[in-house]
Amino acid sequence: MKKVAAFFQAIGANIREIGVTFKEGDWKTKVSFIIFGFGPLLRKYYLRGIAFLALELLYIWYMVAFGASYLAKFGTLGTVETHMDPTTFVTVYGDNSFLILLWGLLSILFTILLIALWRMNISENRREELAAKAGKEVPTVRQDLHQLIDSKFNYTLLSLPTLGIFLFMILPIIFMICVAFTNYNFSHQAPSKLFTWVGLSNFLSLFSFGGDGFGATFAKVLGWTIVWAFFATFLNYFLGVAVAILINMKGIKFKKLWRTILVMTIAIPQFISLLYVSKLFAADGLVNSYLLKWGVISQALPFWTNPTWAKVTIIVLNCWVGIPYQMLISTGILMNIPEDLYESARIDGANAFQMFRKITLPYMLFVTGPYLLTSFTGNLNNFNIIYLLSGGGPTTMSMSGGAGTTDLLITWLYKMTVNDTNYCMAAVIGIMVFVVTAVISLAVYGMLPSVRDEEGFQ
Amino acid sequence: MKKKLLAVLLAGTMTVSMFSACGSSSSSSSTSSSSSSESASSSESSSSEEASTESVGAGETITIWVADAVTSLTQTMAEEFMAENGYEYTIVVESVGEGDAASNMITDVEGGADIYGFAQDQLARLVSAGAVQQLTGTGYDTTIEEENGAGSVAAATFGSTLYAFPMSADNGYFLYYDSSVVTDPTSLEQIVADCEAAGKNFYFEINSGWYQVAFFFGTGCTLTYETNDDGTFASCDIDYASDAGLVALKEIIELESSSAFQNGSSLSSATNVGAIVDGTWDSDAAKELFGDNYAAAALPSFTGSDGETYQLSSFSGYKLLGVKPQTDAAKLKACLELAQYLTSEECQLERFNAVGWGPSNLSAQEDEAVQADVALSALAEQSNYSIGQGQYPDDYWTLATALGDDIISGNITPDTSDDDLMATLEDFEAKCISYAQ
Repeated sequence: MKKVAAFFQAIGANIREIGVTFKEGDWKTKVSFIIFGFGPLLRKYYLRGIAFLALELLYIWYMVAFGASYLAKFGTLGTVETHMDPTTFVTVYGDNSFLILLWGLLSILFTILLIALWRMNISENRREELAAKAGKEVPTVRQDLHQLIDSKFNYTLLSLPTLGIFLFMILPIIFMICVAFTNYNFSHQAPSKLFTWVGLSNFLSLFSFGGDGFGATFAKVLGWTIVWAFFATFLNYFLGVAVAILINMKGIKFKKLWRTILVMTIAIPQFISLLYVSKLFAADGLVNSYLLKWGVISQALPFWTNPTWAKVTIIVLNCWVGIPYQMLISTGILMNIPEDLYESARIDGANAFQMFRKITLPYMLFVTGPYLLTSFTGNLNNFNIIYLLSGGGPTTMSMSGGAGTTDLLITWLYKMTVNDTNYCMAAVIGIMVFVVTAVISLAVYGMLPSVRDEEGFQ
Repeated sequence: MKKKLLAVLLAGTMTVSMFSACGSSSSSSSTSSSSSSESASSSESSSSEEASTESVGAGETITIWVADAVTSLTQTMAEEFMAENGYEYTIVVESVGEGDAASNMITDVEGGADIYGFAQDQLARLVSAGAVQQLTGTGYDTTIEEENGAGSVAAATFGSTLYAFPMSADNGYFLYYDSSVVTDPTSLEQIVADCEAAGKNFYFEINSGWYQVAFFFGTGCTLTYETNDDGTFASCDIDYASDAGLVALKEIIELESSSAFQNGSSLSSATNVGAIVDGTWDSDAAKELFGDNYAAAALPSFTGSDGETYQLSSFSGYKLLGVKPQTDAAKLKACLELAQYLTSEECQLERFNAVGWGPSNLSAQEDEAVQADVALSALAEQSNYSIGQGQYPDDYWTLATALGDDIISGNITPDTSDDDLMATLEDFEAKCISYAQ
């Protein structure tokens, strides 16, 4: 609540300052409200004046030449459909909803940036007027430029990464969020067909139970996603720690050999071993063929074809991928636990389990708490394992949207995008993935020992 | 991290496809300059001959997507055609499987290939995405209807409009078997028993909507869709929830319960094969695998739970060649002529000789070599029982996979009561009907 209040106060202060600037400012400042950089130019702050004016002209040029036509159609996402001339059979492309959405969005963002620029332009005028009143000297162009590699070097350094993040992260994310509110799917495919805004109907269909609604399927997929992430994270964690402790024990010989063997699994690219193992456990794979041949079983074991078997198989096979990493991390940490803690515990008569519970585990959890959290959120979106092992299958008629019983939200999203070209529902699921990940991360983050008590174990 | 990565990927592909769409004219000119040296020899000769007449398409590219097996063959055919007819388009042939062509075209229509081969079940998606040029009224439709079998013309038609050139008529399936294992290929029970006795696998992809219909159509069920001209489905004619449907479903369940049964239809990934239900595209692999025992036959018949004998049916499907809607009349004409040439009797026979694709062209089908082919004659035998594959919505294939998976995963077992099975079929039927709206 405080933050909201502070936000509105800041807006109020800004508006007041704009008013004061206009009221107390001279005619140069007043003209600057419309022609950016007019004041700085006349006051001989040439570089700043030109920069402001150039950016304003650039914006106007963009909007007139390009942006405005897209922005005008932003409300409908296009009205002219692609059609074929019935006599010559030549196709005439109409409005492209996809491009209208993209460029329209860009125009809106540019307009927001322009408003920010306008505000900067006003405070620049104010600063210059105050400087003139105080009798300060006008900095030369050279001095202005020098600042960029001196006191304002941070701006110079960060400009390129910021631009990159804006273009390749922010804009696509906003774009995808917008898609969730359209009917961009297989029957509304740009550029040949138009799509348009449909409000919240995609979200309603995700949460509608019964009939063709996605509700029941979404609940099942979400449930399995969380179960999977829980087991994948904690099973790997505790088994990895156990292996590390085992190898670390006094009296174990060839420690380096054991570690090397485990690390070998990391050396083989994950997707290769996963594809290989997936084939190994198939109904006609090596494992089943040999078990049948030796007469151990009379019917192939349904590793991938039975939902429950598939889920267990995936969780167990994931240990293969996860334990070596966890072992490496734990080995380092275990070696760091002060030996005197154990010594004094031993003198007090503690047994091995007590020492593990009271010394090793708290220490491990303290150091690796944040890692556990990130690996949990990583596992929520662990596309590779699921997609390469079971492909989300087996499917069942009781789930809609093409989802399989071992699909995570993220693999379901992938299927919707690639197989069904159902971009609008995929975007909705993308948003849900974000919500789930964010809620769990934020909730767990506050409970981490290393966050609650930064001073512990020092 | 993964979430962000995927978001960026998704958005990235979209933006990339957008940019490639924007810059298609410039990119095509650059590719033509790079590959012009390759085709220089062919275009040089033609340009010197045709110097007096005006040349069309210099500096422009026609991109063709076909299956990997016929890539170089198609390149040769297309370049010959260009040279003979005085076109100067640069031909770029890329290897895109018939199964992927539709997805790739739909993702980016403007950046996609100008001519592309695809399996007929993708026509609905292509029409609804506006990625395929209609042929009705262009004059090419009459030739197509005259020269090709009625089934292949129906396969290329959506609503009342013809959209594509039939390229081959071998997209059907039948039985390949090891003649030292299978004693009687006409009886499903015998095949299963023989495979069980020999410890061999019998492959039948029951979780595919394409293979699954063998049982349902075999017992006399129907499942067809009426289509509209705009790429949507008008109505569905289905009677799976009937006694005949129940017999078919029970037979699938019984087959699945055999220890010899394996779900699959790809010889390359199959192991220990006794028999497999597969198509002509795997005939070379089958010959190699079975050696002297290589044999092929029509699908077997089975004795249903009601004591009657049913012959397994099948889909007979077609590979088609589509042309992308063009904004330039001259290029459209060139593309249509080229597509017509690539699906002509001459080219179909050439493809049959090179890679064994069964022709859809009526006169090519009369060819002696075509008539003598083992796999193709098994397919011809099966065609007595097969049903021409019409148009099905994308959701149907997903649903059929789900039904098959339910059987394989044990949600439906031989012990499931008839009432429950009927409820499943009713659910299946209701969902199929709901796709047509």
